[in-house]
Amino acid sequence: MRFAADTGGTFTDLVIEADDGGLSMFKASTVPGEPVRGVLAAFDVAADAFGIDRRALLSRGSTFIHGTTHAINAIVTQRTAKTALLVTRGHPDILVLREGGRLEPFNHSVPFPTPYVPRALTFEVTERVLASGEVRTALDESTLVATLDRLRALQVEAVAVCLLWSVVNPAHEQRIGELLVRHLPDVPFTLSHRLNPSIREYRRAIASAIDASLKPLMTRYLGGLSASMRDAGFPGRLLVLTSQGSMVEAEEVRQAPILALKSGPSMAPVAGGRIAAVESPLRDVIVFDTGGTTFDVSLVRNGRVPYTQETWLGRPYQSDLTGFPSVDVKSIGAGGGSIAWVDGGGMLHVGPQSAGSVPGPACYPNGGNAATVTDASVVLGYIDPDYFLGGRLRLDRASAQQAVQRDVATPLGLDLHAAAASVLSVWTENMVQAIADITVNQGIDPATAVIVGGGGAAGLNAVAIAHRLGCATLIVPGVAAGLSAAGAIASDIGRDFRRIFVTSTKRFDPVGVARVIAELRADAHRFAEATGSDTATTRIDLAVEARYTHQVWEIDVAVDPDQILGLDAARILESAFHRAHEQIFGFHDDASAVEAIAWRISVRCAGSDSPALRLKPSDRDGALRRKRRIYFAGTGWQTVPILSFDAMGANERVRGPAIIESPFTSVVIDPTATVHRSTEGNLVVDWRGIVDPHRSPDPRLEQATS
Amino acid sequence: MTDHTLNGAELAILINRLEGVARKMTNTLYRTGRSGVLNRARDFSCCLLTADCELLATADSLPIHVLSGPDLMAASMKEFHPALERGDAFLHNSPYHGNSHPADHGILIPVIDDDGRHRFTVLVKAHQADCGNALPTTYMGSAADVYAEGALIFPAVQVQREYRDIDDIIRLCEMRIRVPTQWRGDFLAMMGAARIGERELLAIGTEVGWDTLDAFSRQWLAYSEQRMVEQLRRVNKGRATGDSTHDPIPGTPPEGIRIQATVESFPDEGRIEIDLRDNPDALPCGLNLSEACARTAALISVFNSIGGDVPRNAGSFRRVDVKLREGSVAGIPRHPTSCSVATTNLADRVTNAVALALSRLGEGSGTAEFGAFLPPSSAVVSGIDPRTGETFVNQLFLGSTVGAGTPFGDAWVTYLCAGNGGMCFVDSIELDELYQPLLVHERRLLPDTEGAGRHRGAPSLLVEFGPVGCAVEIGYVSDGCTNAPRGARGGGTGSGADQLRRRRDGSTERLDPCAQVTLADGESVLSFCCGGGGYGDPRERHDEQVRQDFIDGWISRRRAREVYGVELDEHGEIVREATTRLRAAAPTTLHPKPIDHGDPS
Repeated sequence: MRFAADTGGTFTDLVIEADDGGLSMFKASTVPGEPVRGVLAAFDVAADAFGIDRRALLSRGSTFIHGTTHAINAIVTQRTAKTALLVTRGHPDILVLREGGRLEPFNHSVPFPTPYVPRALTFEVTERVLASGEVRTALDESTLVATLDRLRALQVEAVAVCLLWSVVNPAHEQRIGELLVRHLPDVPFTLSHRLNPSIREYRRAIASAIDASLKPLMTRYLGGLSASMRDAGFPGRLLVLTSQGSMVEAEEVRQAPILALKSGPSMAPVAGGRIAAVESPLRDVIVFDTGGTTFDVSLVRNGRVPYTQETWLGRPYQSDLTGFPSVDVKSIGAGGGSIAWVDGGGMLHVGPQSAGSVPGPACYPNGGNAATVTDASVVLGYIDPDYFLGGRLRLDRASAQQAVQRDVATPLGLDLHAAAASVLSVWTENMVQAIADITVNQGIDPATAVIVGGGGAAGLNAVAIAHRLGCATLIVPGVAAGLSAAGAIASDIGRDFRRIFVTSTKRFDPVGVARVIAELRADAHRFAEATGSDTATTRIDLAVEARYTHQVWEIDVAVDPDQILGLDAARILESAFHRAHEQIFGFHDDASAVEAIAWRISVRCAGSDSPALRLKPSDRDGALRRKRRIYFAGTGWQTVPILSFDAMGANERVRGPAIIESPFTSVVIDPTATVHRSTEGNLVVDWRGIVDPHRSPDPRLEQATS
Repeated sequence: MTDHTLNGAELAILINRLEGVARKMTNTLYRTGRSGVLNRARDFSCCLLTADCELLATADSLPIHVLSGPDLMAASMKEFHPALERGDAFLHNSPYHGNSHPADHGILIPVIDDDGRHRFTVLVKAHQADCGNALPTTYMGSAADVYAEGALIFPAVQVQREYRDIDDIIRLCEMRIRVPTQWRGDFLAMMGAARIGERELLAIGTEVGWDTLDAFSRQWLAYSEQRMVEQLRRVNKGRATGDSTHDPIPGTPPEGIRIQATVESFPDEGRIEIDLRDNPDALPCGLNLSEACARTAALISVFNSIGGDVPRNAGSFRRVDVKLREGSVAGIPRHPTSCSVATTNLADRVTNAVALALSRLGEGSGTAEFGAFLPPSSAVVSGIDPRTGETFVNQLFLGSTVGAGTPFGDAWVTYLCAGNGGMCFVDSIELDELYQPLLVHERRLLPDTEGAGRHRGAPSLLVEFGPVGCAVEIGYVSDGCTNAPRGARGGGTGSGADQLRRRRDGSTERLDPCAQVTLADGESVLSFCCGGGGYGDPRERHDEQVRQDFIDGWISRRRAREVYGVELDEHGEIVREATTRLRAAAPTTLHPKPIDHGDPS
């Protein structure tokens, strides 16, 4: 038996994989400050459902996979360690200047971000290495030791080191590491070339600073978790989810806690990709996850989950990058709690403000009175106020109506129901635009992609989003309400290793490339051995981060390591790059040489062999079929069938309008769509026989832009 | 046409979709462009205009690029090419026909519906690494006229017909523009982005109906105008004049160029007038403004002053009347006046003059002066890379702070220049050393250089760099050495600019503010950019903030005492009594002490 627990802001999701591969899902409230209690509470719910005691349940587990927001929460609430940064003399303001850039150039009420490590804790080290790796100024150890004494006097709790060109010649950083061990033996530290070998000193500096600042805290947290789980009777192995969409031994996260920074959301595309692969032949997948306050989008491109080098701690340009490659997840402030409001010019806005869970939407019994998406959904009949969260929370329809009337209908001069439908439409459009941003950047055409909707609030507009984007197929998985935890069950043990080696296809250096690949393979094999994995099921992929000459941003190009070591390597790299560039940007340039900057190996040791992520049927409300009146913008009020997930037979096809309910979510099926429950237990929505509004207006233009 | 009225939700959805189109164009161009100005400085913009040439929607772009100008460019396209066809595209960089300056190449594409009717125009505009000037720089400050400047000028010249390049134009550019493959790469990227805009608009038009889109455009502009009226009603009634002086460079009078702006606010009407007519005639140098830049620079101040959420389009612009004079240095240029540097130096002076005038209307209006621009840390560098033997030319963006204190808060530190709005990226030292044979010795913010104020201006940034294993040429037009950025409403002056050459023996010499300089191997340039002016009396700055400024190393204890009136002990703790006494007394000085740049020898 394997367990996966994802600790989110509101709920802790627990997915249990039985030995036959069937999944069960449970939720408990997250306990802020004591996340372990939320995890154990979820196990209590599970034990109850299985009719055994918790210790007996836990004792059957072989593996416990954990996703946690502990690291990111510590950063947001500024509870990280007191961290010092050591940099090359002459360059103390790397974390102040960052990489520049700004949003909303006329909005002067957004303050300039304060540096992640204060200037007062940033120290210059006399040394300089050139781009060629040549040492221009030797490391001045005596002044450095004086600085280390100062760090001790300041009671610094962690140290990050980022020197210019340490990725080309790490000698000075390594020596500083030795001196840190000697002079500050109890203080954890991070060396930039080891943690994050990339060019661009800010990205190495910020990643190192974040990593070092998390070390004391994450060591305590993982130690506590491991002890609590053992005390509660769990005998197995503890794995932690990473921002790279894989899992690693807890020890790896203690060594490099930045790995776990965005561990939960990175799992959604793993689950979405796995499910889409079973349901559809299309290879590109858009995955979204709608919660109470945020909407996350991620992708699978041609079977792989694309990475980004640009993950932000907060809003882009108003916060810091993590500087660390991670699964590309875009988040916006949109969820069930998003507040609808009309501005002075009479235009409707939905979000980004959210009512959260306290005070919550107007229809919640907690004293909130702002009109939210949840309120609009109650007005429209999409949410049954008597059956919200399986009836655990009673909602007040009159309060919802009052709020939508006051905040939306009256100011817009619309009737109540048209106003509520407008709230949903604007909310949908905000999400569509967020999806468009990430698909443009990753070169995915929604019209040829499958879209997978997860999260508790996804069902309200998943069909509308998919239709608006022109996606051929929408899947709302049986595990939708706990997509990240389900992804954890499907994920592999794995890590990425990266090295910098710059070479151009015009002056290709086969010896240097061979050396880098050999080093990376050694890293990968060491990792696989350390996890005790079977080499037969270990997969090693090589990607080159490359660009055309004169370009600034690299893209990932997958290459076969054996081919790239052959005689024809430069040509193979070029043609692979052209193909990748064409795929992402819609054009390529035969005349341009290709520059490789970094080489990355990803090692994946198979963690699971359950492909389908199928939820076991629950017996609650088994075959219930009801009817309810609901409102659609185009057609007005209609009485529609309400079906439970489990009431639908395999491949039974239902034409909209309808509502499909599960204990965790309800899915609104628009009048234009049809839905069926697949043999794998997922809802699959399509638009058979509907005219495609996204057809191309002019074939010549199609050619010019593709 | 149906007289369709959209409700507030339909309005929200359509503007979101249209801004999405502009954003999609922006993302595409940003990711595919070749030159550093494009993908590091984000020196480009994408926008949508109505068939009547009214600016409708933009993505977040450099302010100087897209407020006024796109409208004039689209109008000249229509004037020169009355019969527009689907598949057409036009290259436009003429400052005499609405463009900002010749280094900004614009691609205009008319969006034509299935009935052959012109419905919208999309515009992609991007600063080129080179535009064929007589010298390897896109900022020819010393050019006496457009002939001396040397740029190829394209007044809405057709470059594509039926979606295919007109190769004559491409070849013409390739014969004149340095590193033509880089230009060609950027051209491809711009065309790709513009075509994506066209495709998306055609799809939306087909889906929602062109007449509905027309109705939307009218309503959206009316909505934006209404939002602007609300904001301008809050500006105090009155009339005030502000001025801002550009340092002298070759071709200007010895006292430099003093720009003057008179602002009159009519809150009852929700309207504002900005008069720029009382300014000198055009000068025989490259600093003269294009009409687009003169109008935009004035609008920037207004939008800086009123907060961030009024849409910037033809609707809101209707409430700001910018009066210009033909033949003025800050007005409407007559050919062959050179406008080579129109987007930065004098444009920023117009923004500053209007900002100070606005600030005189009352508390909460205007901003301090932004520091002046184009120090050597933003130079165009060129030479032959000894590592490859290849020619290179590119603009550096090693950093320029210059942010002004505003009514809303402290300055944004990495602003680049007033017209950039802080959108520019700051170069990575390592990337610059990899791309060019350069070594960046130092890059640091300097203490006590901020314009003091209740809201402080940005501190000055020092950057020292030089060539490695070869000589390099650097071109810059560094304003603000004489005329440092002044504060507003009692705020102090920020540090001015300066530039020195460090010779091989370590001695330094001061360099001209506007120059092409060759740095020999082993030499370096020290570039001091301007800080920014402060807003409000520094003695009104919260004493805890002053203390934090000291702890963070922005200011010294002495400056905390003398300028901010806050006495700090050796541990950085506030000495209350002394502070109360200091803050009650008259200010001693609001100006930074002169920076010790090392004695030029």
